[in-house]
Amino acid sequence: MNPLEVIRVIGVLLVATAAAMLASVPFAVGEGLVGGWLSAAALVGGVGAVAWWATPPVGGINAREGVVIVGLGWVAVVLAGSLPFLFTGVAPTVAAAVFESASGFTTTGATVFPVIETLPPSILLWRSMTHWIGGMGIIVLGVAILPLLGVGGAQLFHAEVPGITADRLAPRIATTARLLWGVYVLLTAVLGALYLALGMTPFDAANHAMSTLATGGFSTRTASMAAFSPAIQWVTVVFMFAAGVNFTLHYRVLTGRWRAWFRDAEWRWYTASTVSASALVFAALWVEQGNGSLESLRHAAFNTVSIHSTTGFATADFARWPSVTQVLLLGLMFVGAMGGSTGGGFKVVRAAVVAEHTRGEVRKVLHPRAIVVTRLGRTPVRSEIVLNVLAFLGMYVVTHAAGTVALTALGSDLVTAMSAALSAMSSIGPGLADVGPAANYGHLGDPALLVLSALMLLGRLEFYTLLVLFLPGVWTRAGGRR
Amino acid sequence: MRVIIVGAGEVGYHVADRLAKEQHDVVVVDVAAARLDYVESHLDVAVLEGSGASPSVLERAGIKEAGLLLAVTSVDEVNLVTCMSAPSRPGLVKVARVSNPDFYAERAALQPGTFGVDLLINPERELALEAFRLLQSTAASDVVVFAGGAVQLLGLRVADGAPVANRPLAAVGAGERGRQLLTVAVERDGRTIIPTGATVIEVGDHVYVIAAAREIPRALELTGHTHEKAQRVMLAGGSIETFYLAQLLQQHGLDTVAIVEDRERAQELAEQLDRTLVLNGNVTDIELLELEGVGGMDAFVALTDYDETNIIASLVAKHAGAKQVITLVNKSDYVPLARRLGLDAAVSPRLSAASALLRYVRRGSVQRVATLQANDAEVLSLAVTAGSPVVGRLLAEAGFPEGAIVGAIVRGHSVVVPTGRDTLRVGDAAIVFALPEAVAPVTRMFPT
Repeated sequence: MNPLEVIRVIGVLLVATAAAMLASVPFAVGEGLVGGWLSAAALVGGVGAVAWWATPPVGGINAREGVVIVGLGWVAVVLAGSLPFLFTGVAPTVAAAVFESASGFTTTGATVFPVIETLPPSILLWRSMTHWIGGMGIIVLGVAILPLLGVGGAQLFHAEVPGITADRLAPRIATTARLLWGVYVLLTAVLGALYLALGMTPFDAANHAMSTLATGGFSTRTASMAAFSPAIQWVTVVFMFAAGVNFTLHYRVLTGRWRAWFRDAEWRWYTASTVSASALVFAALWVEQGNGSLESLRHAAFNTVSIHSTTGFATADFARWPSVTQVLLLGLMFVGAMGGSTGGGFKVVRAAVVAEHTRGEVRKVLHPRAIVVTRLGRTPVRSEIVLNVLAFLGMYVVTHAAGTVALTALGSDLVTAMSAALSAMSSIGPGLADVGPAANYGHLGDPALLVLSALMLLGRLEFYTLLVLFLPGVWTRAGGRR
Repeated sequence: MRVIIVGAGEVGYHVADRLAKEQHDVVVVDVAAARLDYVESHLDVAVLEGSGASPSVLERAGIKEAGLLLAVTSVDEVNLVTCMSAPSRPGLVKVARVSNPDFYAERAALQPGTFGVDLLINPERELALEAFRLLQSTAASDVVVFAGGAVQLLGLRVADGAPVANRPLAAVGAGERGRQLLTVAVERDGRTIIPTGATVIEVGDHVYVIAAAREIPRALELTGHTHEKAQRVMLAGGSIETFYLAQLLQQHGLDTVAIVEDRERAQELAEQLDRTLVLNGNVTDIELLELEGVGGMDAFVALTDYDETNIIASLVAKHAGAKQVITLVNKSDYVPLARRLGLDAAVSPRLSAASALLRYVRRGSVQRVATLQANDAEVLSLAVTAGSPVVGRLLAEAGFPEGAIVGAIVRGHSVVVPTGRDTLRVGDAAIVFALPEAVAPVTRMFPT
């Protein structure tokens, strides 16, 4: 472990964050907030620059340093990102600012602000920017860090991509990350153009395009996507779904291998569950409310896809929908999007592995001597990876339970606490009951906001990457050097 | 013709035996001197100690004059290198035995014609193919397919109450006039004869019938069987044969269960075969077989490496009620024994491999189609040329030796199952069923 190298890279990250803040400065001119913005950027950029220039370059980092950089880097960027909320005075407390920033960078989309339209545009842009930057970070995380560490069987995210091996961070992985960023930027630009064409203002189009591709959920309106036309909502459904797909598949499709989607077992699971869950929600709405209109179908599809892809936009207050749909949506909150996407959650690929493994165990009851192989599509999954995934499931359940306990202890009711904890861990945004799509998180109080911020980071970084920072072994020299 | 056989193992020995009996000059090359002593004392062949992969050894074995090089050691790589080491020239056919399933993958680099190999022979796969053919018709002990599947030779046991039982063949034939069916051999008490119209068929006889594809149900009916294809199959043992057969079965949508004794091998097979249920257990564990419903199986195939285990497992399966039982036996002495024990069919990897190899050893106009395992009888395909004495004569008068019979005539795209009043024309291919002693005389009747 070479702490200097870690400090250096985090310094670079902070300088980049400060540079991103400068994009909001032109909007702050008319608001009289230029001072606040510049001081936030100067503070973050200054600290970053010092860390960058004061440390000598070592050249290359090993896996252990990689983990520490990811864990500390996200925490540092989240804290830095909270400064504009504080320095411009929009956030009531430090905890609220940290929550809003964590919610942004982890692409969650939960907010403490009851009314969005009164926020200054520079802050609105910053919220969308944090989503979009967070989305980029997640792509790198999914390509480079998680498979390298084998976190929860994350090798499965790129099972079919040649060249991603667990023995180095550079140079192939850097190339891969750049290609995937290219896809991300391209899709964002296409969506922005579509929004413009469908009548959004350039400012709204840019904000929502960034928010959608990052599977974020921050909007420029209190009513979220309900404030826009049905056509815009349908386009958003498609792009939310796409943002929840492994970006490697998009890259392959864009380079002419259009069958890549259909060949991927995880994609088939994700598509099947999206379609069937939307249909079930629509059916439940029809039966319970007698509403079988196209509008009802749009709401069912939009909110289901929004939850499944872990985006968190809403067009209706699904916290008031029939109970059965709420339970279904809670299930989707847990499963989340595909591995290697910008979405969060347990990940479809892991859910598929758990389901296949369980099916095999049931088969063993019928055939006690059967050798059951867990498969993803037709590819066998090594039992070691299955165990990784099961351990990850345990981690998810335990963390969720702990989060729920903490939130109920801090005064939330059970449904609010459960759904808020799950929503934060899976980086969705809205929950149910008091934190439903029509409500916000501002009323929960500072301690609860900090608990939720921690849950967002834990879920986003897939637990291990963050928890490893608390292992004493990480900080010792032994075994740390290449 | 000079034939060089590299590898004096089971396959090499058996092929050397067959080729030597057919008057070929056979040189057997192997690294094991003791094995060569055994070969030399039992067969009329020359032996040479050394590695077949070495060009100088091949040269001493007479590769310059050889017409056929068979690399049949148990190591794939040695066989491949042997073929590469031999010169490529017209007139020399180089055959390599290759068992590794990876080399048989759809887009494997290794294909006939590459790496100096003209032909690839895979004994395990040949055996699996043979077992698969048997499963196509659960009553048959032998199935040989020729003329692209238009005609088959079936080995059938005459069951109790069969319509053909206790009647002379001529009387049976009178009722079946116009059908493309012909009984070419009858096996009784370990002896095989070519029947005449006067031959009376008895219950328990084993008859070999050549039938056009559409007449197969009738052939089964006449011998007291019903036409059934296996749907549920249980395989015992974790051999390479198991892999190939299970792969064929799952490709054709059959329910397949494989019982594998070795845990690691079971795991490996379970990973390779995605639609086969692989169980880890002892193949002679009666409780396990019953738990997995061996009695309800259409077929049970014993494919372990041990003959005795295969025979016991097969008896258990047969006793429990499995409809068709196929047993792998390595020792050729056990092949007739298996039938006497009441097992439906016995298959042997070395015989399958030898049969497959011999199929490619053309001698002039002769091509072997198959060698039957129980009695060494051969099915030959002979090209009819202008110089042949049989041309234009009625088959009954063409002078075929006693141990041989024309089972089918392939004429262009059609196939005729002949009677004594048919004639052969130039350009035909005659499918002849011949007992071992009749092979040479028949062959002489069809000069190139």
